[in-house]
Amino acid sequence: MGMRSHSWRNLLKRFQSVFPTNPNSKSYGNGSSIVFIIVPPPIAASSPSFLRSFSSTELQPQLSANIIRIMEQRLSAIEHRSASLQNLINQPEASPADYARANKELRKLRTSTDLISKLRAKQKEIDGLKLLMSESSEDNDMLSMATEELGQAIEEEKRLQNFLLKSLLPKDAADERDCILEVRAGTGGEEASLFAMDIFKMYEKYSQKKGWKFEVVDLTESDLKGYKEASAAISGADVYGKLKFESGIHRVQRVPVTEKSGRVHTSAVSVAILPQADEVDVQLRNEDLRIDTYRSGGSGGQHANTTNSAVRITHIPSGIAVAIQDERSQHMNKAKALKVLCAKLYEMERFRIQSSRSKLRSEQIGSGDRSERIRTYNFPQGRVTDHRVNITHHAVNDVMEGENLDVFIDALLLQQEMDALTSFSSSQQN
Amino acid sequence: MRLSFTIGHGVPKFSLFLRPTLSRHLHRPIYSSSTLPSPTSQNPQTPLFLRPPTHRATFSDLRKWQNWAKTLALSVGSSFVDMDNGPDSTLLCRELKWLIEDVTEDGSISETLHNEEPERTVRLRVGLEELYKLWKQRIEERRPFQYIVGCEHWRDLILCVQEGVLIPRPETEKIVDLVGDLFSDNQGLREGLWADLGTGSGAIAIGIGMILRNSGRVIATDLSLLALEVATFNVQRYGLQVSAGRGKKRAVFLFSDVIQLRQGSWFEPLKDVEGKLAGIVSNPPYIPSDHISGLQAEVGRHEPRLALDGGVIGMNDLLHLCKGAASMLHSGGFFVFETNGEQQCKFLVEYMETEAGDNFYNVNIVPDFAGVPRFVTGFRK
Ligand SMILES: C[S@@+](CC[C@H](N)C(=O)[O-])C[C@H]1O[C@@H](n2cnc3c(N)ncnc32)[C@H](O)[C@@H]1O
Repeated sequence: MGMRSHSWRNLLKRFQSVFPTNPNSKSYGNGSSIVFIIVPPPIAASSPSFLRSFSSTELQPQLSANIIRIMEQRLSAIEHRSASLQNLINQPEASPADYARANKELRKLRTSTDLISKLRAKQKEIDGLKLLMSESSEDNDMLSMATEELGQAIEEEKRLQNFLLKSLLPKDAADERDCILEVRAGTGGEEASLFAMDIFKMYEKYSQKKGWKFEVVDLTESDLKGYKEASAAISGADVYGKLKFESGIHRVQRVPVTEKSGRVHTSAVSVAILPQADEVDVQLRNEDLRIDTYRSGGSGGQHANTTNSAVRITHIPSGIAVAIQDERSQHMNKAKALKVLCAKLYEMERFRIQSSRSKLRSEQIGSGDRSERIRTYNFPQGRVTDHRVNITHHAVNDVMEGENLDVFIDALLLQQEMDALTSFSSSQQN
Repeated sequence: MRLSFTIGHGVPKFSLFLRPTLSRHLHRPIYSSSTLPSPTSQNPQTPLFLRPPTHRATFSDLRKWQNWAKTLALSVGSSFVDMDNGPDSTLLCRELKWLIEDVTEDGSISETLHNEEPERTVRLRVGLEELYKLWKQRIEERRPFQYIVGCEHWRDLILCVQEGVLIPRPETEKIVDLVGDLFSDNQGLREGLWADLGTGSGAIAIGIGMILRNSGRVIATDLSLLALEVATFNVQRYGLQVSAGRGKKRAVFLFSDVIQLRQGSWFEPLKDVEGKLAGIVSNPPYIPSDHISGLQAEVGRHEPRLALDGGVIGMNDLLHLCKGAASMLHSGGFFVFETNGEQQCKFLVEYMETEAGDNFYNVNIVPDFAGVPRFVTGFRK
């Protein structure tokens, strides 16, 4: 029965496997653990706000003593660093270059140091309250007041710790980038092309809701006006970070408009999300590019008048080629082709770096395995299921309207955070 | 005797700025097809996409027109391709989509036309009747698409064009790239005075002007008055000339102008800047006279001969430009000329390296993106 039972059980199972909570077990690694207090919401499994609230309040990770210990080490390292930088800046004989460098680093640490001093103040307050309580064990009024304040202060301390921990977790530097969306019809012929169009428009509507800019880069239409291939450039705040989990195979089960007998077909569409990059990011050299344009027989130039301004750019070393034809000028087609090419090269480079890192990281979601089946849109049953977090949402039409995609995206973001926590604690152990 | 030269020497130098109301005329909306100026009129026409959406049609009627137009486009098949390298059905269908984009108030409607409520009305920039007429002209008369919509998308610009003015070609975009690349490591040239000879719609001058912005200046010339009027419209639309029409002759740039327009034959209107130019760019007529009759219908039947015909071997104007370049450029100055292809390129390189005296260095042939040797470039010693 739908999302509630499925998703909760599943997320819980996943967290438990990552962070075993049995305190009696001696065998689970080096003692790092996080306990999640999970409070399922009472009703309405398909409420769109469900996962948002889920990720903020009901699911407040309680950090284990071990994580806190690791974090404390990091925090004091930051405090040290910041103190010595401050020291350097105060020295009159510091060279302007040193001064500038120290200042820059300090600015970068500022968010953390601000949070740390808040945390320290809170901890001092907690110590004070504890002292007060031990000294006023006879005064009941005082005791109950102090207890209440202590409770609040400890809550606040936890909140700050969670916040700090989040800021210490490694971030994907590409999260803030804009992205290129590519949708390609897979198996299933014309029906797959029609679904590719639906999916493409779903992202367009979702982008509009988010206030992002959605620009069509190129469309190849099928005979029935579906899309064999479609791409778009999406820009706005944190676009890549939000959409990166959409890469993979999206499967559809429905009765195609072309199907007379009413039989349900299964077809598939592949989606790729690439962070946008520029020529500098990928160190593109002019001599590595071959640019071809449409040539209308004959001599070209003043001889010919054609509205065909298609451009194909080939990156010779990698063999990657991008062709764009939809813009009305050759220059614009070229600019778009270059944009897509840079995104592809950048993604390749990221993939290379990533797979040379630990296995754990390359297994993370969002690492761009395009062949993985990630989601099924079942129209007869009116549901959408994401196979990675095993969440089912019972309003397929809303999803196609770009409405409730956040149900999945938020869960995937949460999962990403969990993965980061795992590697945070394990990286400190060895 | 070529038309261009008879006119070129007979007509006194004309100043565009005699008519201060020109720019107001340019922006005056044209409300119905009956007031459309005839193609021979000297008034620039407003391109479709800039006209006010004062006409209406129901979606069902617009769709009917679209279906009719599409059927017409499909009936062409590859017959134009076989005939004279003209457009095929696929290309014509894409043009149809762009026409709908330009003519409807909300251009993106071309995507969803078939899903709209049939009885709803849509605002159009010309009447339906006119649309039937325009598409008929496109297919039956082979009237160029760019003249139908009144504009050409070129680089990142949208340039107004009309009969009597050459439609800028995609190959020519590269001239601006070549000049732009030069600027990135030669600040001196960037701050200099440039000339675009035979500017037509103003394409190259505007492309360069957009890069120069507040550093250098461009003088754009043409023999054709109509071309100059259209170029003025385009230059002003891109804010590269703010102050049209002050005084009869303006030999000096006003502070805010990046581009100045002058009428006359090749170097003739540039006597005051002899030896002072940082760069000369030109895409002069280069088609051999006896090729004109065999050209693709869109070109041969509709574009101005003055813009295409380069004399017996197509090199009259190119050679004239090459001859004059040495005295017009200052030392270190740059030139780039577009040509008909390999033969003309080789001929010009040979000429610049030998007969033009010992005046040039780094004379090169640069291919266009289709791989055809297209441009000759070089520097004044
Ligand atoms: C091939 S068109 C190029 C137009 C424009 N530069 C472009 O690339 O789109 C050649 C232009 O040279 C102009 N022209 C022809 N003979 C000329 C002459 N003797 N002096 C100046 N311009 C001339 C024509 O009017 C035409 O605008």
